[in-house]
Amino acid sequence: MSGLAVDDAAWASAWRRRSPGDKLLLCLGLVVCALVLPAWPGSVLVAAVAVGLALGPARVPARTFGRAVRWPLAFVAVGALTAVVSVDGGLGWAPDAAARAGSLVGHSLGGGAAVLLLATTTPMADLLPALRRLRVPAAVVEVAGVTYRLLFVLLESLSTIREAQTARMGHSTWRRSWRSSGLLAAAVLTRSWDRARRMQEGLAGRGLETGLRVLPEVLPSSRLFLAATGAGLAGIVSASLVVA
Amino acid sequence: MHIAEGFLPPLHAVGWTVAAAPFVVHGARAVAKEVRERPENTLLLGAAGAFTFVLSAIKLPSVTGSSSHPTGTGAGAVLFRPPVMALLGTVVLLFQALLLAHGGLTTLGANAFAFAVVGPWAGYAAYRLTRACGGGLLPGVFVALVVADLATYLTTSVQLALAFPDAGSGLAGALVKFLGVFAVTQIPLAIGEGLLGVLLFRVLTVNARPELERLGLLRPVAEPTAQEEVR
Repeated sequence: MSGLAVDDAAWASAWRRRSPGDKLLLCLGLVVCALVLPAWPGSVLVAAVAVGLALGPARVPARTFGRAVRWPLAFVAVGALTAVVSVDGGLGWAPDAAARAGSLVGHSLGGGAAVLLLATTTPMADLLPALRRLRVPAAVVEVAGVTYRLLFVLLESLSTIREAQTARMGHSTWRRSWRSSGLLAAAVLTRSWDRARRMQEGLAGRGLETGLRVLPEVLPSSRLFLAATGAGLAGIVSASLVVA
Repeated sequence: MHIAEGFLPPLHAVGWTVAAAPFVVHGARAVAKEVRERPENTLLLGAAGAFTFVLSAIKLPSVTGSSSHPTGTGAGAVLFRPPVMALLGTVVLLFQALLLAHGGLTTLGANAFAFAVVGPWAGYAAYRLTRACGGGLLPGVFVALVVADLATYLTTSVQLALAFPDAGSGLAGALVKFLGVFAVTQIPLAIGEGLLGVLLFRVLTVNARPELERLGLLRPVAEPTAQEEVR
């Protein structure tokens, strides 16, 4: 358990051994469909397909998927409501309020479900090498890789220190809670520097000169998966154009 | 406050990505140059990115009983400078989209422009101005973190107002709506993050003074002369 439910789901997913490129093609295709096709039926179809694939063949726990969409849903609800309220000469609804709100919610739900399908089936460690193929500089991918690996160490430190602070009544009052939060942030920052320094010394001792090279895991592409992706995306586009 | 996936129309999503790109590319070049010249700093930069991500996981106490989370980019801008934060902030946004489902991929450009470009630059400018006016490190940090948060919130509201102008009052009306709705959470958050920054840097000046001196935030304390040591 890493402490991030989406990351845990990605490592445990039945699609973990599938090629990251295949999954990226499917999910980015769904994201684009959700964005550019009419909300009805395009984005609704995208949402249904993404949720169906995640909970079905990819075997992502429904609870993880449901919990992950809570915050985006809160933003979408508040944002969509604000967008369709008119403030011209007093509060009221915009003329096409229901249609605009429905369209906004549809696009966001469809796109959000597609991104979550990628997030819950593909660990970041598999996605970062794909950035190199998109010509992102090696140094940037290396820094992103170190960030990904260190953040779990720091999240664990954060959780441990906070637990210790709570046990010592560090969050018993508002004033103490503020002081503890400041100490917590400082402790995490100094630990991150300390970790980085110790790792750097360890790597320097092993002859670090050109970069942090690791052996990439080869996950072969599947023609069947790619064909199904193409057919599925074409089906969503066709259905949207016919119905809309 | 990150704009959720699919919330912005396609043209706006592309436009904000184009607007953020030069800053992120500049940051990427700065990071690549740093790593090429000093490979050992790869780990320090990675640690800075991880700290920014983790800082956003710290719950700030709130008078209303709810909790909110700092953005971390203001502190990052003071510690590591805005060009580096343009890249690290974008990396953190990508991780938040894919590890926490906050934000999105098509809205990454818009969120990066607000969170990783405008916020850090505005916060850093406020920090430098406060220091130039004779303010100390802690007042400078407080102003930087408050301004970085408010600038991020203002930019996100402008992005939403441009995408969804009010049916009657146009852009101005929409801006008032979005600023008003998100002010409830964002203004207390900005002040809270400023206070957290003061507490953080107050501890760092005691526990991590050499690091702050190396980053140029504090002047090195003069070594005592042999005569002073004897006294």
